Amino acid sequence: MAAPSKSVGKSTGDRLSCNTTSFQKKSRSKLVSIPGTRPSVQNGQLIVSTGVTSLDYVIGGGLAVGTLLLIEEDRYDSYSRMLLKYFLAEGVVCGHELYVASAQDHPSDIIQELPSPILDDIASPKPVESQTKPCDPEGPDTMSIAWRYQNLPKVQTALASSSRFGHYYDVSKTMDPEICQAARCHGFYLPEHSATVSSSPAPPPTATGQSPMPEAYVALLKNLQEVIHREGFDGSLPQTKSRNVLRIGLHSLGSALWGDDLCCRDNPSHGHALTTLLYGLRALLRSSLSVALVTVPSHLIQNKALMGRITRLCDTAVALESFRGSERETNPLYKDYHGLLNVCQVPHLNCLVCDLPDNKDLAFKLKRKQFTIERLHLPPDLSETVSRVSHGGLAGAAMLGSSGCGSAGNKHLDF
Amino acid sequence: MLLEVLQGTEAGGFILLQDTVSYSGRHLLKSYISTALKREEEVVHVLGFEACEKEFRDGLDRTNAQRLHFHNAYSDPLGWTGNSAFTVHQFTLEDVSTLIKQTPQAKAVTLVIDSLSWILRHHDPAAVCQRLQALKKGGAVRTVIVLVHTDMHQRGTVGSIRHLATSVVTVAPGTRGLGAVAKTTRRTKSGKLMQDEETFSINEDLSVTIHSKLSHPGHTHVNTDETEVDPTANLTFNLRLSDTERQAKEKLALPFVFSKEKKSALLQPGPGSGRILYEPDANDDYDQEDPDDDLDI
Repeated sequence: MAAPSKSVGKSTGDRLSCNTTSFQKKSRSKLVSIPGTRPSVQNGQLIVSTGVTSLDYVIGGGLAVGTLLLIEEDRYDSYSRMLLKYFLAEGVVCGHELYVASAQDHPSDIIQELPSPILDDIASPKPVESQTKPCDPEGPDTMSIAWRYQNLPKVQTALASSSRFGHYYDVSKTMDPEICQAARCHGFYLPEHSATVSSSPAPPPTATGQSPMPEAYVALLKNLQEVIHREGFDGSLPQTKSRNVLRIGLHSLGSALWGDDLCCRDNPSHGHALTTLLYGLRALLRSSLSVALVTVPSHLIQNKALMGRITRLCDTAVALESFRGSERETNPLYKDYHGLLNVCQVPHLNCLVCDLPDNKDLAFKLKRKQFTIERLHLPPDLSETVSRVSHGGLAGAAMLGSSGCGSAGNKHLDF
Repeated sequence: MLLEVLQGTEAGGFILLQDTVSYSGRHLLKSYISTALKREEEVVHVLGFEACEKEFRDGLDRTNAQRLHFHNAYSDPLGWTGNSAFTVHQFTLEDVSTLIKQTPQAKAVTLVIDSLSWILRHHDPAAVCQRLQALKKGGAVRTVIVLVHTDMHQRGTVGSIRHLATSVVTVAPGTRGLGAVAKTTRRTKSGKLMQDEETFSINEDLSVTIHSKLSHPGHTHVNTDETEVDPTANLTFNLRLSDTERQAKEKLALPFVFSKEKKSALLQPGPGSGRILYEPDANDDYDQEDPDDDLDI
């Protein structure tokens, strides 16, 4: 956020000397050109892709550089972990630098599990669809319809922007190790760092007992700050060097493995620990060319007020709710999807309004080659046992389930 | 599913056995130990807080008993007498590792904690989670199996531990006095999740018999008694068309349908199309001035 605007200001200043008018055509060339980024359509912010095209669409085009995306984990952390991997994989493909922090798995393990990009046939999923869609009128199964309705646009449930941004990934394959190694990656694995942290300054933590954060968070912030400074993401490097974006992925912040009892108690002893960390993280992000994705196991956090504060501190917040293991799995309303996606917060960047998605009922499904977010709708129910008149809308259909009442025994159709 | 978990086919696993006051999970824990002892070169270390050694070994196969190492924390869990074999405060990574290192010849080590509830009462839950994770990742232990009495702790504490577990088995008393019900949730390494609910009973020799699978979450119930009725069988009208009928139907021009012929006929005026004829009238209010003359075009 801050960095691009800084450079914009500089370039306009250069031009002012030779140009009399202050009017400048808004063009791409003024923004720093970093692979994998582009200016936002809405507000001109430099944005990067999250790695999931439809998630980019839902949160308004992409993640603005310098902002923080919060993913509230689903119960078994399978889909949120997938989103983290997509985010990192997109960074690898675009040549961004990565910073991965986790207390559970070693960052190098996470990097090794990244999904493989579908590079050669980038645009293939779309043309295939568009070829099949315009149904030729000579076909035997086409329905003739009144001209008033003939040219209406098809209802598109899958969300995607018109222009391509970001890549598609094949979940079934892991990324080529050569590509992974080409990416510059900084890891922070808490057990490794906590050994050094707790061994050397072991006495001080008790002395500075009122420290608002557990040492794990302090160590994380210090490490991150050092990386940002050392690699020149905060603009400390001379302008001549080509700029790059740092993608920061923090896995399962606030879980017990970070030494935070936020998830264990209703009144955690370090109630402000995570919020303090997020303030620090935001400050770092805002003053550097970096973008962060944080996953938080919100279903474990007992104190909802605290969760609200955490959401507020992030720019974009997205909650995942997987159907696995819940009774919703068998619900016919959700049979095409793997879970619900709730956009809790969309950033207001340099303006009062934000780009809200037009529909708040969103569901996701993870296919082999794509993580798609769609508008939730009832699938066309083709079974004959469902009586359509008696249910009032979605709720009724959802409650009654697939075994419709009443009409099941009817042997004849009544007209 | 319960049997697969008990067989312990997966390495690096962390199995959480949840019970409540209404049904004790210790029998299931013991049957897990007995299957583990049946495997050659497997050493089981037990951190026992809730049952004495004699009671714990009771029922287990005596031939393999030397491969079961019981660390007695039952008689003096807090170390008051000073000569306790194991105390709650010794539940740290270093101390547990030294215990396990007492059997260096072992190929696979299973660590059994009976029960974690004791430890959770005397340690910070976050620290317990970190140590369990370190044990699981450390490589010294093949499997960690932990008994937790869920009704003794806050929901969040149990939730955090469950979050770490690869397999969770929740036991509850069965309905109509038939054995017990085990709800098993298993997470594979690829992140896939499997769930099952089974009634089981434990035999004299600590083997587990599965009676029935209660329900399969993920599989919808198909009512088999409901026969599929063909509603088109007995109609008062004709649904199918013969060829001549179809031809007749296709010949028919539907209203409100824009065919290509119709469109071209409307767009290109033919010879017989209408024309506007206008003769200026004297009363016409015709403005001589060009309304746009002020524009500099």
